[in-house]
Amino acid sequence: MKPNLEVEIAGIKLKNPVMTASGTFGSGFEYSNFVDLSRLGAIVTKGVTLKEQSGNPPPRIHETACGMLNSIGLQNKGVENFITEDLKFLGKFDTPVIVNVAGRTVEEYVKVAEKLSEHDAVKGLELNISCPNVKAGGLAFGSDVEFAIKLTSTVRKATKLPLIVKLSPNVGNIEEIARGVENAGADAVSLINTLLGMAIDIESFEPQLANIVGGLSGPAIKPVAVEMIWRVSNVINIPIIGMGGIANYRDAIEFFLAGASAIAIGTANFTNPEITIKVVEKLEEFLKIKGIKNILDIVGQVKI
Amino acid sequence: MVHTKAKVLSKEEVVDNIFKLRFFCPEIASSVAPGQFVHVECGKDKSFILRRPFSVHRQINKDVFEILFQVVGKGTSSLAEMEIGCRLSVIGPLGNGFEVSNDCKSNLLIAGGIGVAPLVFLAEKLLSAEIDFDMLIGCINCKKVIPFELQNNIRDRVYYATDDGSLGFEGTTADLLLEYLRQNGKPSKIFACGPEPMLKRVALIAGQNEISCFLSLEERMACGVGACLSCVCKTKSGYKRVCADGPIFNASDIIWD
Repeated sequence: MKPNLEVEIAGIKLKNPVMTASGTFGSGFEYSNFVDLSRLGAIVTKGVTLKEQSGNPPPRIHETACGMLNSIGLQNKGVENFITEDLKFLGKFDTPVIVNVAGRTVEEYVKVAEKLSEHDAVKGLELNISCPNVKAGGLAFGSDVEFAIKLTSTVRKATKLPLIVKLSPNVGNIEEIARGVENAGADAVSLINTLLGMAIDIESFEPQLANIVGGLSGPAIKPVAVEMIWRVSNVINIPIIGMGGIANYRDAIEFFLAGASAIAIGTANFTNPEITIKVVEKLEEFLKIKGIKNILDIVGQVKI
Repeated sequence: MVHTKAKVLSKEEVVDNIFKLRFFCPEIASSVAPGQFVHVECGKDKSFILRRPFSVHRQINKDVFEILFQVVGKGTSSLAEMEIGCRLSVIGPLGNGFEVSNDCKSNLLIAGGIGVAPLVFLAEKLLSAEIDFDMLIGCINCKKVIPFELQNNIRDRVYYATDDGSLGFEGTTADLLLEYLRQNGKPSKIFACGPEPMLKRVALIAGQNEISCFLSLEERMACGVGACLSCVCKTKSGYKRVCADGPIFNASDIIWD
């Protein structure tokens, strides 16, 4: 019998638990040559802000052992252009679209959330309170419990859409923030965003990134993500979308066992543009071989 | 564009640290245009996760293409160690490519160092379309000249510049361009690929002389397909993606640091 891969996150029904991680998949268009977007659990878009943002100067990336640093700086065309161009394209597929929302002030997040709420093609919002590459907003919100709570509860009042809050690993106590945003009305949390990092060119003595610091992603951060998901899953009742270095189905299984109800694939898309669909197929195969009927049966089942 | 496997047919170190790899890959070879690139998985070592972009150097036939690259880091080192017969994951053809038109009476191709890679493909296309061109090639010295195959009857259209004068003109590629313009007048179009300081000067000279000029740019790349916004360059209309909006840009649009 075919195992059941369907999950429901924050009230959004997904045909399988494999999503794309914000910022690594554009708005789907660029990858539509390689994968049938209708087969994805959900598409999480690149971060969208109220006004167009130019992003950081290059170089914006640097490859590290088993990972990469990035400092894109939320380059995007702004919410209006996103709606007329990207959303129009994404609306053609039978896959829920979750829009990653970013801003410099609470008001900006609210305005973007309100504009997106007018469109049926948007099935959920992911609040980006953890981008390490922008000075105001972003990480500044994510590392401050009070602010994360204020932002979540304010946006909660502004939209009926399912609300996911993306958490930063660059904090002292991630459980406290997870509990805070749960109480403030978040329907789910996603974790982890990138880890702050830095690399230096030993010839020029200059930082490898023009922005000096950036966010570390890729297989190097996977154990950090698994641990944080496990820890957070013990203190909250809303679902977790797990991400951070997933490069194959075995990695994905670890995230489910640690407590994630869905997973997102990010940097691995760069290595293999078809990786998302491959993970869906291999997950199904794994469950079948193990005789597990439902993906939900392994969520949080790590034996301690 | 496709994501497929390409089989290594041959490998040659054409000059110190510069390698030429020949791939069997009909999906890409049959449709690639000059100036486009391929995004190549460079090794089985999982410690580096990103592909490396390479311009297509030559389209041998509808099944086979070549890349030419310099070993500069771990990705290219690993690629240089690939054995004949192995199959690599390749995405391509990517990017916009050079725009050539039949009404262009004279074209000038300018290459600095490994920048010769895409221009040989362009030269071959121009030859087969019977479009006139000259070629300026710059390198450190005569020992570093990258040999390439082109029909013999165009050898007299290729001019060299070396830093020490050991082959051709003594000076930089941009200095040779100035000398070329003095002797031959203005070409209708310039196509250039090479290190940034060279491209910057070529763009400046082209601008001053009102010559239409197209540059093949390079930047650190992650996805290669336009999604991640890593490989941007600064243009008059904001940051543009080298992988998807380029790699060929009108020189007059580029804002240099």
